[in-house]
Amino acid sequence: MSMLNASAGAAQAPRLARSGANEKPRVAPWLLPLILVLGLFYLYPVFDVFRLAFMRATLLANDGSYTLSTLIQTLTRPELGQILWVTFVFTGSSVVAQQLLGLAIALVVVRGESRGLFGTTIVRTTALIAWVVPGIAGGIIWKMLFNEAPFGGLNSILRLMGAPPVQWLSDPHIVMWSVVLSNVWRGTAFSMVVMYAALKAIDPVLYEAAAVDGATARQRLVYVTLPQLRSAILVNMILITIQTLNTFDAIISLTGGGPGRATEVLSLYTFNVVFRNYDLSVGAVLSILMLAISLGLALVYAVFLPKDEK
Amino acid sequence: MTPKARLLSLLSAAAIAAPLATAMAQDTITGDTVGPADAANTLTFRMTTDGPRNNDPALAAKYGKLFNDFIANHKGWKIELQMMSGDIGQEQARMLEQAKSGNAPDCAAVDSFVLPLFKKAGVLKSFSPYFKKEEIDQLFPFVREGVTGKDGQIYAWWWSTDLRVLYRNKEIIKDGPQTWDETKKAALASVEQGMEGILFNGGRYEGTTFDWLANYWGEGGKLVDDAGKPIFGEGENRAKFVKAVAYYRDLVESGAAPKRVATIGNYDDFNAAAAAGTTALFVGGNWQLSQLKGALEPEEFAKWTFSPLPGATKDERSTGTGGWTVASFAKTDDKVAMCANLAREIYMGPANEIQEQLPTRADFYSKYPIFSNETNKAFGEALKVGQARPGAPVYPEISNQIQIMMGKVLTGTEATEAAVDEAYKASLAAFERL
Amino acid sequence: MNAANRERLGDVLSYIFMLVIFAFFAWPLLWLLSLALRTRREVFLGVSRFIPKNPTLENFTLILQSDKFIGYLYNALKLSCLSAIGCLIVALPAAYAFSRFEFKGKGAWMMAILSVQMISPLVIMVPLYRYMAAIGLTDTHFGATMVYIALAVPTVTWILKGSIDGIPKTLDEAAMIDGCNRFTAFVRVILPLSTPGIASAFIISVIGGWSQFLVPFLLITKESLTPIGVGIFQYAGTQNDSSIQLLAAACLVSVVPAIVAFLALQRLILGAMTAGAVKG
Repeated sequence: MSMLNASAGAAQAPRLARSGANEKPRVAPWLLPLILVLGLFYLYPVFDVFRLAFMRATLLANDGSYTLSTLIQTLTRPELGQILWVTFVFTGSSVVAQQLLGLAIALVVVRGESRGLFGTTIVRTTALIAWVVPGIAGGIIWKMLFNEAPFGGLNSILRLMGAPPVQWLSDPHIVMWSVVLSNVWRGTAFSMVVMYAALKAIDPVLYEAAAVDGATARQRLVYVTLPQLRSAILVNMILITIQTLNTFDAIISLTGGGPGRATEVLSLYTFNVVFRNYDLSVGAVLSILMLAISLGLALVYAVFLPKDEK
Repeated sequence: MTPKARLLSLLSAAAIAAPLATAMAQDTITGDTVGPADAANTLTFRMTTDGPRNNDPALAAKYGKLFNDFIANHKGWKIELQMMSGDIGQEQARMLEQAKSGNAPDCAAVDSFVLPLFKKAGVLKSFSPYFKKEEIDQLFPFVREGVTGKDGQIYAWWWSTDLRVLYRNKEIIKDGPQTWDETKKAALASVEQGMEGILFNGGRYEGTTFDWLANYWGEGGKLVDDAGKPIFGEGENRAKFVKAVAYYRDLVESGAAPKRVATIGNYDDFNAAAAAGTTALFVGGNWQLSQLKGALEPEEFAKWTFSPLPGATKDERSTGTGGWTVASFAKTDDKVAMCANLAREIYMGPANEIQEQLPTRADFYSKYPIFSNETNKAFGEALKVGQARPGAPVYPEISNQIQIMMGKVLTGTEATEAAVDEAYKASLAAFERL
Repeated sequence: MNAANRERLGDVLSYIFMLVIFAFFAWPLLWLLSLALRTRREVFLGVSRFIPKNPTLENFTLILQSDKFIGYLYNALKLSCLSAIGCLIVALPAAYAFSRFEFKGKGAWMMAILSVQMISPLVIMVPLYRYMAAIGLTDTHFGATMVYIALAVPTVTWILKGSIDGIPKTLDEAAMIDGCNRFTAFVRVILPLSTPGIASAFIISVIGGWSQFLVPFLLITKESLTPIGVGIFQYAGTQNDSSIQLLAAACLVSVVPAIVAFLALQRLILGAMTAGAVKG
């Protein structure tokens, strides 16, 4: 039902354009459906977030007056530094690992396909499957694997091999890497697909030329492949950085942010502030902080994009 | 557009439920609805798994019968069931938010520990007209206090309660430890026999705080004052608090408890360890006894027993009590009345019986044979030192801070006193913002 | 000869690498399968009983017996497909405009749309809930679908723009000389030619919708409308449920339909991506 209405709207809009001058087509009708959907169902509440950030609203009460105190109190919270550091480590290492692993798998798969190696499709498919596991289920799966009881998924392998058990989730120095590992497991497929597509799009002529010049495999990689992948890598990094910054469903079911605050990333912290502390205004300030970080990072990446891709 | 969309979703819901409806034609529970689809009145009821949607088919069937009988007694009504997730904190926050915007269910399960918050928010309807004074007088004192508002009216019916005890494998640990020292010794002795040691919740989980609090309460410590302000980090209370945290820390550091307790955030992990035969001692809830019975072989189950939680000394004992209430957010009186009926006819008694969940009325322990057996009498005995979590709106944040502190302490990343002071400071800050 | 040897060495290294990668990605799922096939007694035997002695399908039967999970799966499928279709309807004209028209502030508009992507639903959850409640769209699939669309549409617009960029402009010009206007040229020429891009955009938004958690968690409370992402969370969190093997089976059930769809469509997905769709 809803779809019919939406499609009628979309069809009507461009028809309006017909009356416009042929030389200079009217842009607005083409963009209108997009802007309407984003504005009506998503952006409107964003204004509320900015309003809440300057109040002292909780789920229980809101006196309706405006104040700067929430902003100051939130940004000077003693734990914020640690939360940001944890977020940085989690996001940074996840993004780097997903990008590198995704590229490596794509390179090997492309090579394997051209050499007709057995199992290429299987490897590709397995990696893709992890992508469609819902975040919550992913967290549950990894929780079973990391279970430190003697019958846990990973520790029982170690025991079988005679190795001592690892404190996957209870050692504050290891737990972050366990969480990153689970996130990389789930997130790498996206990078792999993007890298695979970009690799396939490289003009074969470039490789032929390199072969004529007698380039080694490493030289081909460094002087042909990587420069050609530059914009794909950057776009991919933007997308997975945003995704990772906003990840909390997998962490909430894996560690809940613990032990202590060892894996409490900014998104999970925000979630906890609203759902356990019932503090809407502090949640709003943290939300804006998250938004600012994402935008800042996107700008940094954008600077590195080749001019014609902007 | 909205009514159409609603119709569409209803139609699709009907499409899923249709094959089921024919499968159990004599039953009146179809999908989310109990009762005839054309009933004039609808009561929406949001529940935990304590209902016809229980994951155990046998229990689900028993509840199904209770609900069907209920509807048969109240012609012209149907109940629309909604489920809530297991993450109680955020689930109750969501319900509070819905109540504020007028979209809460007519009737709902409310965890006893968030009841004060709901009472403060003024979203609950009074149940006083629907329950007799004699019934209310039979409630345990902590229960009666919990459901009563400032105006003396009752705002919920608290129907089940639970408590924490120390489970042990008798073959490995003969006598139930009475003090913290004895607990540590017993756990260390079990480690020598190849066990993991004592297990308890220590992760980011409400149970971590709740289970541990018994140690602090046993010493006579208090979390908040009468105004609901946190006071656990000052004076005498701080000393007791630090002592009780140090006890847990020492369990891990001495090897009496495995390091993995810092990740345990789920009572099921104890059942698992008991079934796997890797532990002989754990701090668990009374409801776990029947779970153990289901999960273990009979001869294994026979080895397990429980004793009251140990204290700093033999006489400083306590145990945390919780449980579920039924409360109403309905806008009309007939729905409030119906919700009260539901609480009375299904949950007050019958539900306790089928699920073997401890009743909140003293008289039920003799009325129902199932609660007058040895085990439940022992639980009932332990309830005498029972203490509910404080009815202060800041409690969820205190709990959150205690969980964080516990993580830091159990993993040895921070000194005990510093971690306690941090938790106290953060709790105070949260209190001032509420 | 030397080159051939080097290639062979490369093959060996490739195989080793693929083996490691396969182990990394497959192990969690195989472990899950192993648990799901066990009886209650074998669950705690760890990896030493990787292949259960008495494999049983009972756990799956139990999960699928109740109408709950079928409902969750159906809802997830419905929400993710409807939103993916809606997404295309909204994004295609915009992508065409961004690809073909020159107008003031085009770059800024495109960046603005991409930055919407950065606003996680987490950021706006409570206002979003209040807003949807105020306009009566909580507990409807329509409301959830529209939010899903808003969430996925920025990426989809970018993907589609990339795909339309790959179609020579001369084609629409030729069509317009033949008497088409902008819109008919778009429908008759551009749409058929950008099928690969459309397919990959569709699949990406279906996957995005499938694993949504926060939006349905906030907006949907009726169990009969709940999609799998929330359903599995509710199932896992119930205190009276102490069975790892059932949870494992439930997790698998939540993943299997997606896996099947993926296996069937894999060639299409990779093909579409390779067609230059994700070049940005």
